[in-house]
Amino acid sequence: MWGYVRDIWQGAKSIVVGHIVTFRNFWRPKITDRYPHGNADENWQPGPGYRGGFALLKSDKEGRELRCTACMSCARACPVGCIHIEGEGKGKERHPVSFYIDMGLCVYCHQCVEACPSEALTMTDEYEISGTSRASLVRDLAQLIAAGEGQTEVSRVL
Amino acid sequence: MSETAQAPLRTEDITVNVGPQHPSTHGVLRFVVTLEGETIRECVPHIGYLHSSLEKIAETLRFGQYITNTDRFDYLNGLGNELCYVQAVERLLGVEPPPRTQFIRTLMAELKRISSHLVYLGTYGNDTGAVTVFLHAFRERELLMNMFEAVTGGRLLYNYLRIGGLRNDLPTGFDEQVCSFLEHFPPRLEEMNDLLTKNRIFIARTRGVGLLTAEQALSYGVTGPTLRGCGVSYDMRKLRPYAAYDQVEFDVPTFPEGDCLARHLVRMEEMRQSLRIVRQLLDKMPDGEVQADVPRRLKPEPGEVYERVESPRGELGCYLVSDGSDKPYRMHWRGPSFYNLQALPEMVRGGLVADFIATLGSLDPVAPDIDR
Repeated sequence: MWGYVRDIWQGAKSIVVGHIVTFRNFWRPKITDRYPHGNADENWQPGPGYRGGFALLKSDKEGRELRCTACMSCARACPVGCIHIEGEGKGKERHPVSFYIDMGLCVYCHQCVEACPSEALTMTDEYEISGTSRASLVRDLAQLIAAGEGQTEVSRVL
Repeated sequence: MSETAQAPLRTEDITVNVGPQHPSTHGVLRFVVTLEGETIRECVPHIGYLHSSLEKIAETLRFGQYITNTDRFDYLNGLGNELCYVQAVERLLGVEPPPRTQFIRTLMAELKRISSHLVYLGTYGNDTGAVTVFLHAFRERELLMNMFEAVTGGRLLYNYLRIGGLRNDLPTGFDEQVCSFLEHFPPRLEEMNDLLTKNRIFIARTRGVGLLTAEQALSYGVTGPTLRGCGVSYDMRKLRPYAAYDQVEFDVPTFPEGDCLARHLVRMEEMRQSLRIVRQLLDKMPDGEVQADVPRRLKPEPGEVYERVESPRGELGCYLVSDGSDKPYRMHWRGPSFYNLQALPEMVRGGLVADFIATLGSLDPVAPDIDR
């Protein structure tokens, strides 16, 4: 008999405690954001070092426009082989004539950026990188240069 | 008495498929369950739906390139998997990472453990019929995800550890971020405890359910909270301290009952111990470099190595064989979920079918970790 009463008491108590917790959360600030538009924080930025899209950087110095020398370091470092480069010219004059990154294959591991000896390739904080077809996921040279416009620093490297 | 009353009732075993697409199987897992009425007579797990050939892929990639794949099998413990693999390669190479690296690695592994146990807490609440706690657990996990994003640049797939070091040092302001989490989280954990662990219905659904004795657990190679829930104090962090675990104090919680509630309580206590470890690591964090000198082309001497770490699910092992080239000759993962799952038929046999999902959830399996 005593156990029966205690059962009921404990059951009722745990329900009340649970409701108190739920009730307390009515007054806590909302943590969800509306996406893509709404009353969310409009200035939201991904964290530092976010790995999103790719960009090819230009040299600050006059002369050769792109820093990339088509040395294939990034293509060799890539674990999935999603970077395809064709270069032209010899020595310091060498530059890429075609540079494809297949974002459908890319695993966003950042190893190509770390492998680049001339700090030419970087990952950007672009986070809306989905596409409607496989072909639209392939970034070519012009797109990569356009993505790097105005940027001079590569994403965080040790 | 008539003849029909004397003849026994004709009964028939029913075979039920649980999964592969089932909201409570934590991924693509299939169980063929033989039922006698509501009692489970036999349960046969069918695995392999998420096999991703990670061990074979390792043979085609250089040592440094494979790190990105280690995040992908036990996705709740990405940094812990990286730690295991990186330590294995470092032992092959004979490289000793700097002390600050060891501390940061340990810190990230412990934060990842809390995050993994929060996922467990939320999904286990779901499995046992308490949906509210899922939202509470994932809200707190979000803070941890933001921390991981700030440090590593990724929320789930980090690729942060490097052979002999780290990709980058901790960003400025990370200490404050962790400190504010350490202040914020314990009361919230108690709140979730109030909501789930102290709930009468939850206790009724888990106490005495899915019983596993210590002998059975050891004979199946069960590790982690499942084994500690059987009263066996077996923790790689204590038995063979790696990274910076020899520099911190913590307890290994054990509960002797061997039921679902014991496994749950072990995980709740582990979160508190992890917070304790994180606090100590922040206090003792040394300054200095985070990357040891390693050659650009890694070519270890021929040999083999087996490295073990304590993942949130148990003992995670990485076996590497090198033939002297820049790629592994053979690699094998000892996924804790795979071994823990072997004991599931023992735990559910003779129990009710309604307790099946509660028992499965208490193992905290991650399906890609089972199949690899």
